[in-house]
Amino acid sequence: MNLPVWQELYESIGPDRFELISVAEDSQGEAAAGKWFDKATPTYRCIVDPTHRISSLFGWVNVPSGAWIDEDGRIVRSNEGVFPDETTINFGLGRVRLGNDAFAHATRDWIERGPDSEFVWSAEELAAHLKPVDDDTLLAEPTFKLALHFESLGDSERALRHFDAAQHLAPDNWNYHRQGWTHKGTVYAALQVLKKSTYLKKNTDKNYYDPMELPGENHRRFTEPEWFWTPAVNALKRLLRRQPSTA
Amino acid sequence: MIVLTSDRSSDIAQRSDDTGSLWVRVDQLKQATGWQLKPEGVCLGEICVPLFEPEREAWIADADDWVWFCYSAFADKIGQKHVRDGDVWSLGSVPEVRRLGLESGLAPDFEMTDRSGDTVRLSDLRGRKVVLFTWASW
Repeated sequence: MNLPVWQELYESIGPDRFELISVAEDSQGEAAAGKWFDKATPTYRCIVDPTHRISSLFGWVNVPSGAWIDEDGRIVRSNEGVFPDETTINFGLGRVRLGNDAFAHATRDWIERGPDSEFVWSAEELAAHLKPVDDDTLLAEPTFKLALHFESLGDSERALRHFDAAQHLAPDNWNYHRQGWTHKGTVYAALQVLKKSTYLKKNTDKNYYDPMELPGENHRRFTEPEWFWTPAVNALKRLLRRQPSTA
Repeated sequence: MIVLTSDRSSDIAQRSDDTGSLWVRVDQLKQATGWQLKPEGVCLGEICVPLFEPEREAWIADADDWVWFCYSAFADKIGQKHVRDGDVWSLGSVPEVRRLGLESGLAPDFEMTDRSGDTVRLSDLRGRKVVLFTWASW
């Protein structure tokens, strides 16, 4: 989690110059997100969003995602993978590395130069970056909300059924996938992310994150997580490679 | 009966005769869906969808000593997706709201409570730059 890096950026640019709003898309709400916020001791606005309302409103399908909104309330940029710095996430069996500081530099430039910033998008550019919304995608949204509702009631069977349906209706929505998989545990979810992202990379032209189209975005961490395994997992993988299945 | 929308969950009355459709008592319509019955039609903020006579006849009904509105039929008319599981109905985005938002280029407004207990309404922050980002613990 890079909430402390956002705090540093917020302080160094100047809280009087912009509003920073951080939204946790966590169905478990404060119980899941609270400790991360507490650890970062943020002075920016922090919202816990257990029904993923903000992602739905802005049409975001992965985290982190973010938007710059100007003084007139217009979106002047909206991206996936908005890490403020290189970020490493541990998940038990290994770790994942993503991002660098290109988005933070661009954000600072926009705060300081406003519409003169080269990173501001026109309305046409913004429209061109919006995800297509078809009937299935529209149906996936209330289906996902239904899953979250049953999850909040502890009705795992019905929650999983609707998570599964939402994932099938909107296969490119990583928020639906990852929140749904997390219902079965974080390690299970991490392995599913690895499986699906590896499949997409090998068989399609889809990225885990859409490219941000920023200078310095010359590393694949912008679009694809880098995976590193613990020594024990690497040893197991070597062992499995030496003993091919006879089935 | 529970009705879920993008910003609320409402526990509202249910018609005693389950017709398979989502009937909402007219006095609970705004609370549950945001829409209201008005002389000019069914309205959500500035958006008003006229109701023609056959629709008015079919979608507004007396039952259990209350007046009810067949919201699922109206949702089909405006292209709003809905899913049901038992006595829980979940409603998707209103396509007209989404379309108007895209055309205006304005960020969708929202009102939520932050961790300090303060209300955050995006439209209240006009005049200042805003950086909004999501993340998750999963």
